[in-house]
Amino acid sequence: MLAIKNGKLVTIANGVIENGTLLVDGNKIVAIGPEVVIPAEAQVIDASGKFVTPGIIDAHAHVSIWEEGLGWEGIDVNETTNPITAAVRAIDAINPDELGLHDAYQNGVTCIWCAPGSANVIGGEGVTMRTYGETVDEMIMLSPSGIKAATGENPKGAYGSRNQMPKTRMGVAALLRETLVKAQNYQRRIEKAADNPEKMPARDLGLENMVKVLKRELPLRAHCHRADDAMTIVRVAQEFNIKVTIEHATEGYKVALELAKHGVPIVVGPTLSCRSKIEVRDSSLATPAMCAEAGVKVALMTDHPVIPVWYLPICAGVAVRHGLDEAVAMRAITLTPAEICGVADRVGSLEVGKEADIVIWDGHPFEYTTHVDYTIINGSIVYQRQ
Amino acid sequence: MLAVINAHILTITQGEIENGTILIENGKIVQVGSNITVAEDIDILDVEGAYVMPGLVDAHTAVGLKQEGMRWEGDDRNENTRGPIMPHLSALDGFCPEDEVIYDAMENGITTVVSAPGTANVIGGQAAIFKMQERATADDLYQGVVGMQAALGEDPKGAWRNQKKLPSTRMGAAFVLREALCKAKEYREKVARGDANPDRMPERDLQSEALAKVVTGEMPLYVHAHRADDMATALRIAKEFGLRLVVTSATEAHKLAGAIKAADVPVVLGPISNSRMSVETAARTIRTPALLHAAGVKFALTTNHPETPLLTLTMQAGLAVRGGLCPEAALKAITLYPAEIIGMADKIGSIEVGKDADLAIWDGHPLKVRSSVLATFVKGELVFEFGCNCDWEDIEGCDCH
Repeated sequence: MLAIKNGKLVTIANGVIENGTLLVDGNKIVAIGPEVVIPAEAQVIDASGKFVTPGIIDAHAHVSIWEEGLGWEGIDVNETTNPITAAVRAIDAINPDELGLHDAYQNGVTCIWCAPGSANVIGGEGVTMRTYGETVDEMIMLSPSGIKAATGENPKGAYGSRNQMPKTRMGVAALLRETLVKAQNYQRRIEKAADNPEKMPARDLGLENMVKVLKRELPLRAHCHRADDAMTIVRVAQEFNIKVTIEHATEGYKVALELAKHGVPIVVGPTLSCRSKIEVRDSSLATPAMCAEAGVKVALMTDHPVIPVWYLPICAGVAVRHGLDEAVAMRAITLTPAEICGVADRVGSLEVGKEADIVIWDGHPFEYTTHVDYTIINGSIVYQRQ
Repeated sequence: MLAVINAHILTITQGEIENGTILIENGKIVQVGSNITVAEDIDILDVEGAYVMPGLVDAHTAVGLKQEGMRWEGDDRNENTRGPIMPHLSALDGFCPEDEVIYDAMENGITTVVSAPGTANVIGGQAAIFKMQERATADDLYQGVVGMQAALGEDPKGAWRNQKKLPSTRMGAAFVLREALCKAKEYREKVARGDANPDRMPERDLQSEALAKVVTGEMPLYVHAHRADDMATALRIAKEFGLRLVVTSATEAHKLAGAIKAADVPVVLGPISNSRMSVETAARTIRTPALLHAAGVKFALTTNHPETPLLTLTMQAGLAVRGGLCPEAALKAITLYPAEIIGMADKIGSIEVGKDADLAIWDGHPLKVRSSVLATFVKGELVFEFGCNCDWEDIEGCDCH
């Protein structure tokens, strides 16, 4: 049993508790509040003057499949041999000993949505995973978790330059629709076969995944920088009645009311990167604030290694500098990404019954100069600052 | 004449002054202190206790050479076409004064930058100093050449090995650099022997003419190197030819701190914040600034914009503090130290009488993530003033306008 006492507990779900105590038994949070009795056998961490938060969650990153400190040998993020690769899985490329994962948990990021890249219109399966563990299987929280899609310059650039489809935004939308229609047909063939093996179609791993999208079991998480690309995804989502998120949402502020109206969550970032291409020219550090103000559910991302995964709390701080409410910013790197990544019943807040992913900080988590003192993942102390 | 009053002044060289006053005349700081009588007939800017520090300096960027929001259309950093030695190129010729990042600079208190050619060539060209103001031409911002940009390691190797041309190895990069320096030295000697006599003068050679200034020590050689062994190569060649050396990028400088200190070579370090995107940056750590400081190495922090955005310059300093550097040295590393390294410390880098009135005024301590710049002055000219900086016209319900 582990007790964290006298901390400033940022619970996310139920406000901030000053001088609070939190009890962990096994892998679960079992008590939290201002007056919790600490059992005699508990290991006690005195968090006086410290911030205690849930583990930080990066809603969109490529840590461990786009490895740092390596060239092409460690880059397994884009299978750019076909613009539709719905069957490929991020889980099959994870290196559990990757440098970026060490950075992540040592800086308080305990969970990420690890996804294929954006060169393909359909990139493949994502996975929601913890950032600490000896084996991949130990780290997995939810797999599959979302299907990655992409619009705009990246797929156009990857294929148009070879004179292959898609060369245009029209082509991107057409490929997306074609794939969803193929999945509808595949689903119908399976239903018609009615479990008769003789009539069943040959198994298609990619279409199997797309059927899960059609059934709303998996969200389509679509990379869109420009507002027009985001609206294309909203249009396709309505046509096929599927769940979508807008990833990056660089120009999200231009269509914030539309996104709010359709209940489409956005994952904004990487803020703090340059306007490196035409489609991110109109990027603004105020995007999270403006979209949240309009009623859009906002999570933040680093898109690691585009910017390092351990920047995520700083990105939240910068979003606050540019108008985002502090509590919304804190939620945008904890509970909101947990919701988007399908693990909000397990992590994302400090609540009784949740799994104990907890971070103790020596100052406000958003500050440049703050250190992580402890990282606790699934009830175990996995990092302690020396 | 302008008086900035009620300022919490971070002078950088003389500590902090609370309730301080800065008097500005003709673009220069003419008085600084806490007991200054302000004449009634001059302009007064009451900053109500805000932090005032010297304008920030980034000693290694591609501002103006790689325009924001454009790819090849606005990328004029690397002329890696004819050969790896291009000393006669000048950043001034590629600098676009309409680069949007110049507005980022003004909004974030960054008043002076070095813009350098890229690192695909072993010698990329001449880097220059620019002020961050809204001006019609690059010449209006130009403050002179600061040095010759060179590069070792993966960048030149990668750029040329793909074309199956020299240099495809680290040995090859060092060789083409030494060969060019030898040629420039001989050229300079021929010119000296020619003594302006047209019959005895060698044919004019722009490349050697430019590099001759490096060989004589008139112009420092700025060498981009990430790995310690590449920095050691730079130190070796600098010693062989008697060059003035500055190391840039310098990811593994902490591994070679003793030798760098012994050679009295300054370092323009960074960005320290980025991912380890290549083999040669695998050892990147935010502890490097603290380790260099402990070893007594003079260093500035840089964003190497657009490797990471220019506006993260204060973040580089903040992360250096997280990595163990004291805040005083961290602030010097984005003001006074880069000013000293680029030879501008008589004009910029601290709030002192006689220096340019380059000021950044902050609503909080500059090393705090939520602090914003309220106003920026360049040579006494107000180049940015905080207002409603949002784009809320598109959103209903914004009452900023």
